[in-house]
Amino acid sequence: MSKRFCLILVAAFVASPAAAHITLETKQAAVGSYYKAVFAVPHGCKGSPTTKIRVQIPEGVIAVKPMPKAGWSVDVVEGKYANEYDYHGNKLSSGVREVAWSGGKLPDHNYDEFVISSFLTDSLKPNTTLYFPVVQECETGVSRWIEIPAEAAGHSHEGKSPAPGVKLLPKP
Amino acid sequence: MRLFAALATLLLIVGFATGALAHAALVAVEPASGSMLASAPKAVELRFNEAVTPGAIRLIDGAGRARDDARVSASGETISIAVPPDLPQGTAVVSYRVISQDGHPVAGSVIFSIGVPTGTQPPANVDRGLNALIWLARVGLYLGLFVGIGGVFFARWVAWSMTGLTVPRVALVIGVPSAVVSLGVLGLDLLGLPPAALATVAPWKVAFATSAGPALLVAVAAMLLAMMALRSAWYARACAVVAFIGVGLSLAMTGHAATAPPEALTRPAIFLHGLGVAFWIGALAPLAALMSKPAAAALPVVNRFSRIAVLAVGVLALTGLGLAVVQLERPSALVETRYGTILSIKLGLAVLLLALAALNRFWLTPALAKGNAAPALKRSILLECVIALGIFALVAGWRFTPPPRTIVPETPLAIHIHTDKAMFQVLVSPGKAGANDFVLQLMTGEATPLSAKEVTLTLSLPERGIEPIERGASLGPDGYWHVAKAELPFAGRWHVRIDALVTDFEQVTLEDDLELAPP
Repeated sequence: MSKRFCLILVAAFVASPAAAHITLETKQAAVGSYYKAVFAVPHGCKGSPTTKIRVQIPEGVIAVKPMPKAGWSVDVVEGKYANEYDYHGNKLSSGVREVAWSGGKLPDHNYDEFVISSFLTDSLKPNTTLYFPVVQECETGVSRWIEIPAEAAGHSHEGKSPAPGVKLLPKP
Repeated sequence: MRLFAALATLLLIVGFATGALAHAALVAVEPASGSMLASAPKAVELRFNEAVTPGAIRLIDGAGRARDDARVSASGETISIAVPPDLPQGTAVVSYRVISQDGHPVAGSVIFSIGVPTGTQPPANVDRGLNALIWLARVGLYLGLFVGIGGVFFARWVAWSMTGLTVPRVALVIGVPSAVVSLGVLGLDLLGLPPAALATVAPWKVAFATSAGPALLVAVAAMLLAMMALRSAWYARACAVVAFIGVGLSLAMTGHAATAPPEALTRPAIFLHGLGVAFWIGALAPLAALMSKPAAAALPVVNRFSRIAVLAVGVLALTGLGLAVVQLERPSALVETRYGTILSIKLGLAVLLLALAALNRFWLTPALAKGNAAPALKRSILLECVIALGIFALVAGWRFTPPPRTIVPETPLAIHIHTDKAMFQVLVSPGKAGANDFVLQLMTGEATPLSAKEVTLTLSLPERGIEPIERGASLGPDGYWHVAKAELPFAGRWHVRIDALVTDFEQVTLEDDLELAPP
């Protein structure tokens, strides 16, 4: 009986999302490769259900395709890139800059994931962190996961609503 | 002699035909003091809580030079200083000295920086020597008005004899030049000039233009009339009573208290208060002299005085308390402000004076009738004289302290946070523990305005374990972000964090510390 209880307890801890922030499931990825960005949304805005998730695509990330979600409509905002990128022999100078899932309702006590497939160009610098700022809109209130730490600040000084990030690895 | 009387009367009338108001305080400055500007403003506007007359107004530019090409114009409550277009970068200082309607100068400085802050300091212009002279002249004036005129009035209307008038005579001789000196040093103070400038017209002209000018003229006229009342002529008693009324008039025409709203009450109150003081204090010196005379001669006079004095003291106490309430606004100001401290000591001395008066009235005067109390009564009266002198010396010090009702928050606490990305100017007023108003001026790193969608102010006091207090700022019509009445319960080193949301996905965050003074 007590053994079973322990197992449940352990399982509960393991299953719980890493933090109370919106984070990326895959914490590191190599430049010059595809990256499946899974945004984990662990809660609403101060208890209010989530109704919209907006993700800003950072410069240097191309070939962005959001994964549709049942009960949500997905929209993209396209725009010009700052640079031109080579993608399978094509020169890309514009593409998706923002992805938004809306129309759904994710209660505060539920967990969900929002997925984007993308390509990390090798213009990105390895051994840095690439941030995907996210705006979480709820029935009441907004949470902005957009804080990007200053390069000199180091990791000890994490903001209260950091942008989800992925550590970039050198090209394999 | 008739010409003299006519002149004195004319002075009284001229003096009385002036309107006046209250002690001025600066209520708004554009650009705000401590602000950072991208380019030189066209003008600096100072707005006061009442109409003011510009005295000395100086502009010191970022290079530390005094500029004489700044034109000053005044209309009612606003003084506008046209800023020369070629103002260099750096911190500029506008130091002002204006004359408020109670005749007192109000001085201060406004600083603002163009591009970069530099260490330009506002000029210090407190002249201790001049202040001492102002104070001394005022004590002399009080002597002339209360001891001099009051003494003559007592002799003519209460004692019906001219004995014991040496002290009032001397007081009048001190009082007249003191009034003239008061006018001159007021002019010096208003214009920020050295004493040598008394030889020029400017300080006299400026001083006379204030409400203090006519008031001092009335005082001089009243003292001259009192001198005439010293002669045994048919008009002596009339002169004495006109001079006596002149004391009240002169006091009611100028000063903090006379100009405190509601003036319909404060002016008559000051008038009556002045009359009460002149009646009571003026009688002391002749009464003391009378004690050396045989009791039979002194007793009827002392009895007559005592009867009226009870009324005079009642009027004094009532008007004094009423004025104190108006000036202080809150009881705590009694100990928290210099004005209040002076008032507290004055009240203490007044209570002592009242105790002596009661002793004289109810114990020594009846004893005098029995014929054995003259020396005791004389000692008691002399002690009253000393205390009265102490009160004059104290009250003359009020000239240098604004009454609490006019105290408005001074130049706010300013901090400047600068990074490559942005430059935030934070103004905190009053900059003390308690409710504070924040004004946030956001600029880019290149000193151009930074437009934000949302601005959040977060305050914490780690040393006291105060967790971050978050307040949303609202954009004001002035283009700055405002947070009103943020409660900062303790003095200390507060951590300030400002998040400015530039786009939906981008925010600029700047942090700094802010030293908050105790309340």
